Amino acid sequence: MLQGTGAFPSSQQSCKACLSMRQSWWVILSLFFSLAPSSVLLANDEFIGTIAPILERHCLSCHNNQDRKGDFSLQTAKAATADGYIEAGDAVASHLIEVITPEDGKAQMPKNADALSPDQVASIRTWINHGAVWPPDFQLQEPRVSDFNWWSYQPIVRPPLPPLKNQWIRTPIDLFVLNKLNEKGLAPSMEADRRTLIRRVTYDLTGLPPSPQQVEDFVADPDPQAYERLVDRLLASSHYGERWARHWLDVVKYADTCGYDKDKLRPNAWPYRDYVIRSLNEDKPYRRFVQEQIAGDVLFPGEPDGILGLGFIAAGPWDFIGHVEVPETKIDGKVARNLDRDDMVSGTLNTFCSVTIQCARCHNHKFDPITQDDYYGLQSIFAAVDRAERPYDLDPKVEKQRQDLQVAVADQQKRLKAVQQQIEAAGGEKLTKLQEKIESLEAKVGFQKTAEFGYHSGIVQGGDVQKWVEVDLGEPVEASQIVLHACHDEFGGIGAGFGFPVRFQVTIVNDANETSVIHDSSKSDVQNPGLEPFVIDFEQRPIQRVRVAVSKLAHRKNDYIFALGELRVLDDKGTNWAQGKAVSSLDSIEAPVRWARKNLTDGQWPHYRDPQAAAALRPANRELEEWKARIETPQRVAERESATKQLAAARSKLASLAKGKMIYAAATHFSPQGNFHPTEGKLRPVHVLHRGEIQQPRGLASPAMLPLAKNLPAQINDNSNEGDRRAALANWLTDERHPLVWRSIVNRIWQYHFGRGIVATPNDFGRMGATPTHPELLDWLAVEFRDGGDWLEPQSLKALHRLMVTSGVYRQSSAGADEKLRVDGSNQYLWRMPRRRLEAEEIRDSILQVSGVMNTEMGGPGYYLFQLERTAHSPHYEYHKFDPNDADSHRRSIYRFIVRSQPDPWMTTLDCADSSQSTPKRNETLTSLQALSLLNSRFNLVMAEKFAARLAKQATGTEQQVRLASTLVLQREPDDRELQTLIDYAHKHGMKNLCRFLFNLSEFVYLD
Amino acid sequence: MGLCLQPSLCNESSMNRLLPRRDFLAGATSGFGSLALATMLREEANADSAIKVLHHPAKAKRVVQLFMGGAASHLDLWDHKPMLEQHHGEKSDFGEHVEAFQNGLGPWMKSPFRFSPCGESGKMLSEVVAPLGDCVDDMTFIHNLVGKTGVHSQATYLQATGFQRPGFPGMGSWVSYALGSINENLPTFVVLPDHRGFASNGPKNWGSAFLPASSQGTAIFPQRDNPIEDLTPQADFATAASDRAGLELLSRLNGQFQKQRPDDSRLEARVRSYELAAKMQLSAPEALDISGEPAHIMKMYGLDRAGAKYPDTINAPEEAEYFGRKCLIARRFLERGVRFVQIWSGNDNSFPRRNWDSHEDIERDHGPLARGMAVGTAALLKDLKQSGMLDDTVVLWTTEFGRMPSTQGSKGRDHNPYVFTNWLCGGGVRGGLTHGESDQWGYKPLDRTNPTQVYDIHATILHLMGIDHKQLTVRHDGIDRRLTDVHGHVIKEIIA
Repeated sequence: MLQGTGAFPSSQQSCKACLSMRQSWWVILSLFFSLAPSSVLLANDEFIGTIAPILERHCLSCHNNQDRKGDFSLQTAKAATADGYIEAGDAVASHLIEVITPEDGKAQMPKNADALSPDQVASIRTWINHGAVWPPDFQLQEPRVSDFNWWSYQPIVRPPLPPLKNQWIRTPIDLFVLNKLNEKGLAPSMEADRRTLIRRVTYDLTGLPPSPQQVEDFVADPDPQAYERLVDRLLASSHYGERWARHWLDVVKYADTCGYDKDKLRPNAWPYRDYVIRSLNEDKPYRRFVQEQIAGDVLFPGEPDGILGLGFIAAGPWDFIGHVEVPETKIDGKVARNLDRDDMVSGTLNTFCSVTIQCARCHNHKFDPITQDDYYGLQSIFAAVDRAERPYDLDPKVEKQRQDLQVAVADQQKRLKAVQQQIEAAGGEKLTKLQEKIESLEAKVGFQKTAEFGYHSGIVQGGDVQKWVEVDLGEPVEASQIVLHACHDEFGGIGAGFGFPVRFQVTIVNDANETSVIHDSSKSDVQNPGLEPFVIDFEQRPIQRVRVAVSKLAHRKNDYIFALGELRVLDDKGTNWAQGKAVSSLDSIEAPVRWARKNLTDGQWPHYRDPQAAAALRPANRELEEWKARIETPQRVAERESATKQLAAARSKLASLAKGKMIYAAATHFSPQGNFHPTEGKLRPVHVLHRGEIQQPRGLASPAMLPLAKNLPAQINDNSNEGDRRAALANWLTDERHPLVWRSIVNRIWQYHFGRGIVATPNDFGRMGATPTHPELLDWLAVEFRDGGDWLEPQSLKALHRLMVTSGVYRQSSAGADEKLRVDGSNQYLWRMPRRRLEAEEIRDSILQVSGVMNTEMGGPGYYLFQLERTAHSPHYEYHKFDPNDADSHRRSIYRFIVRSQPDPWMTTLDCADSSQSTPKRNETLTSLQALSLLNSRFNLVMAEKFAARLAKQATGTEQQVRLASTLVLQREPDDRELQTLIDYAHKHGMKNLCRFLFNLSEFVYLD
Repeated sequence: MGLCLQPSLCNESSMNRLLPRRDFLAGATSGFGSLALATMLREEANADSAIKVLHHPAKAKRVVQLFMGGAASHLDLWDHKPMLEQHHGEKSDFGEHVEAFQNGLGPWMKSPFRFSPCGESGKMLSEVVAPLGDCVDDMTFIHNLVGKTGVHSQATYLQATGFQRPGFPGMGSWVSYALGSINENLPTFVVLPDHRGFASNGPKNWGSAFLPASSQGTAIFPQRDNPIEDLTPQADFATAASDRAGLELLSRLNGQFQKQRPDDSRLEARVRSYELAAKMQLSAPEALDISGEPAHIMKMYGLDRAGAKYPDTINAPEEAEYFGRKCLIARRFLERGVRFVQIWSGNDNSFPRRNWDSHEDIERDHGPLARGMAVGTAALLKDLKQSGMLDDTVVLWTTEFGRMPSTQGSKGRDHNPYVFTNWLCGGGVRGGLTHGESDQWGYKPLDRTNPTQVYDIHATILHLMGIDHKQLTVRHDGIDRRLTDVHGHVIKEIIA
């Protein structure tokens, strides 16, 4: 009872997989040793069959020839037996046994993992005692599954229709299902009554209840095709797209905020949500729908949907801190980007292929034939892609200009890089040595700096720009010295003297409001003072304001700035009159704590701990400046400035192009934010990461798709550009030979109609997933959907829905039957239609509809169900402060603004999907918290009032009102006893309370 | 009754064998719904037996997790470093390249707080956590915890759910899922967030993720007018009489609907869920009502300044009042059968500081936060001890990561994911013990090859609760997920 391994094949299955992989080896070895004594054969068998898989699974990832953790490798016999770890014939003397034998459940090895089982340890002990036979030349390898012999990897072939005849049969679906029922000795159920049918299919296709009139008309309709006409009407309704987009968004993790720390808003995520709704309503061919979401911008240039679809790649969570606050050069920055690509890869493969690709990030997939190389091959398809806002809905002419300018940007960047490389090369070893010398001197001297760095101007692309900062002393002060202190910032490796102006004047305004120049360094370049004070002495005079006016800015990495740590104005006694005084400037980057105008007079600046020792730095600094002047020849500086300016010009033109509307989507060009810069198409190097760790990179990954079938090419040229890579992926995903994609989508649609997929694990068609209950039906649907045929138009989701919901299977009653329950209690063979609870959105939308307040306006930015506070840093989403009377929120739930880290509590309690993970199928739970939500939430209370008001408006007298309420909520008239009970309650406790309790009826929230 | 207590065994087929007439709740993966049902049925069957034997006899019935958002410094509270006092102000030298989160590699910095020996064990504690001095002989300190990241969000996820990424259930959810409720009239897993707002990741730290929604943490805000959302109707038309009669009406109509569909156990469970809801409406306010607590208890928890006004800046008395109230309410919930209580100190990482992320000034933020936290925590430990409940309640103090022994700016400390401190108390944990030490600076573990990780802490707590962390698994998207991923060892040395 307590051992889990019986129910699931987890570890055993993995060993089986290893074995099948090694069978070929075994055969070869058997042949090789065919002349050897049988005991040797047995020993080889023991090693290859039992020992090698244990060592490969548990030891090899650290103890291989490359890593040699603890100076020990198990990869080959020679390495393994070299150091006394394995003493052939003597397990007791073998150190290996000592380290793997657990004491108190904990062994030294494998490190940071579960201990080997007693059986495994015993096997290794026996193997050593038997002489530790290791077939010559047999190398251990990272375990991998290479066996494609699994149902989902087989080509899809159209199966013949079962030759059955029965009145109950309406579609080919029924043939396959009936065939299976016959096999199991089961029979289908009767057709459900019309009220049940219209309720079922209306919710199913539109997520809303049918109106009383629609129910009445349908129940009374004499046309034998009435049901088919009903289905056509529902599929033509725009509510269809609203309902089915929600299923899709569950799978792709859509939300309107980023998630993770701070959980910032994504104000332009919604165009993707609207794109999905519209695509479904337009019945966009599925192939096209898939292609647009992976590479629409490449495959369909100039078409808005080609960009809107890319919201798919960006739909999942994104780590603001890891991208914006931490630079890409740091480990945490690299981890964030690796996990970001992981989300893109797993999102794509889970959604379209039902493959659990994420299992192969740290090691080869343990159950499916996917290697780590395969996984990182997919990551490198997304190597240049980030999530950001980009324009869509564009004028083709503007688009052309945009492309040209993007090329110009890339050209100038190349030019800039070339000159920088020249400068670096010219600087040579001497430059490095000088910089090292200064660094070590600085370290010896030691310096202090506070979190408040100083004042920082706006950033510009050229150095010859005027900027100023000014301190107002408030009243005239007799002073004789002005001291400037430079900043210290590691940015760009600059450190001391960061942002100190190259040419500038210091001007003062006296008590008579006259301006004069007190220091002039505007004619030639100033030597950067580093952390030493820049002192300006003069005869005592009255000063009211001091301005530093800069005419040549400091060069940063690829741009120019002006920064200053502190400005002091001193009198003869050394009193600083500037401290705490007001600062103004032409512009400023206000990013407290580090950067703020007020930091210029806060009395804090970086300084050497020992100013005397700092004197030693002066000659070294001078030498550095001189050397820099020699390598930064006028030609090179001119070239750099020219490239920088042209780059800035191209970028500025790019920025001034008509933006179009914005969507949060996969992007390579976007406005930078902090450390988050666009790749502009430049591919990031993607390495295969040993154990998934960023600090253990192995070889560069080659872009590729999964090698699923011989006739389905999976390779992409290493030299292909960013767009080509995604286009290749999109084409691969929609290739008619793809064994997974077509099965995956028809299975998803089936699941949403019938409660369970033909494969019960819609995101996993691998060996850890379920197997199809009706494999022939699955393949028939996949082929018919892909290619079209007698029953379906090719690639039409609406046709697929129609086929499913008009089948005899779908029209069955949901009533139970004891004898069938005994054979198939979980109804996996579909002898009845399963009863289901309405989903969170269906319940909310029904309540809005029934209460008469539903606003059916489609699309646009999401409405809030919370009060939004403190958006500057970490937005607070205050649900408890929201007023459900807010008419903006009386729209369908698909249009609500979804907060990833703080999902709506009411919806969550009702099992709404969690947008942090792909939800291919929602849970359906029952808790007392749900009861409390439906009874007491402010939403339910407010809607009960609105519902009562509607009833009062549309019906007279309690009885008529109760009858109307019943047809609105339950789509039927109450029987006499029910009617009396409800009227009695309404008389005693009022219609509002009755309405409130009607929302809690099981008959309301369950669909037969 | 033939109930399936091993979650990973509860796939549909085995449940069907056991309970042939049940039509199981549909779930995202095989076995989910059936588990939710099993949980409900188990609650029925076991309402009176607090300890259920899942994998082995349990030492603890309940857990309290104290979580310090923003990363509380081990060096300024628990992990005394004489070397920092000796070398204060000297250039720091870590003997290796250090990648700091920001730029906090300034000179060595001693704690601005005084340390002195406490209890019989003589454990050195900082003056800001002095109230816990009386408790140290019941506590075990683990000073060699290591994290994986210096990013708040990921580090919080790691400590709360065992994974660095969103999408995994919190430890409280796993415990609720495995053991269910002791008292069905109250939530199984209660969360008391910081009064200012949520820490990194917000409610995702206690979400049920792929486990049934019934295992999610229920957030309670004692300072709000309506501490538990939706517990009672806030509308003038709703009265006690209307609700009593309304519930009767539902019972009748829903019961009738269910009787017409006798094979669908969900409908029966739904009728029952309304009965439970009604009971919870009575039990929860009673648990939250501290008006009957005697004056000395109120004083002990720092709640003796009724109506006090506090300044805008972070200050110790206010921290003590808010944190103390949560601790007292935690005790009342524990007494009434709540399985898992999570108490948070610290809001998000913004300015002015309202959590433990003291990049600028340790004394300014850690002083009041720690003094407030220590009052409530010490009161809770003493109170549980005097009632005997500490014997089967395990208390864990944790945070995101530690802070650097070097300065950032002149008075702050940068992130240190390389070593930090946890402590445990009660529920079968030995007292007066230090297990695992950090190095002389408090920069990394003293024994770098054998650190403690969150997996070990989680494995140990599950072990104390009678759960084998390797056996508590749930299949999700093709992987048998567990709280400890593929890691974790029970720390036997600290178990009494």
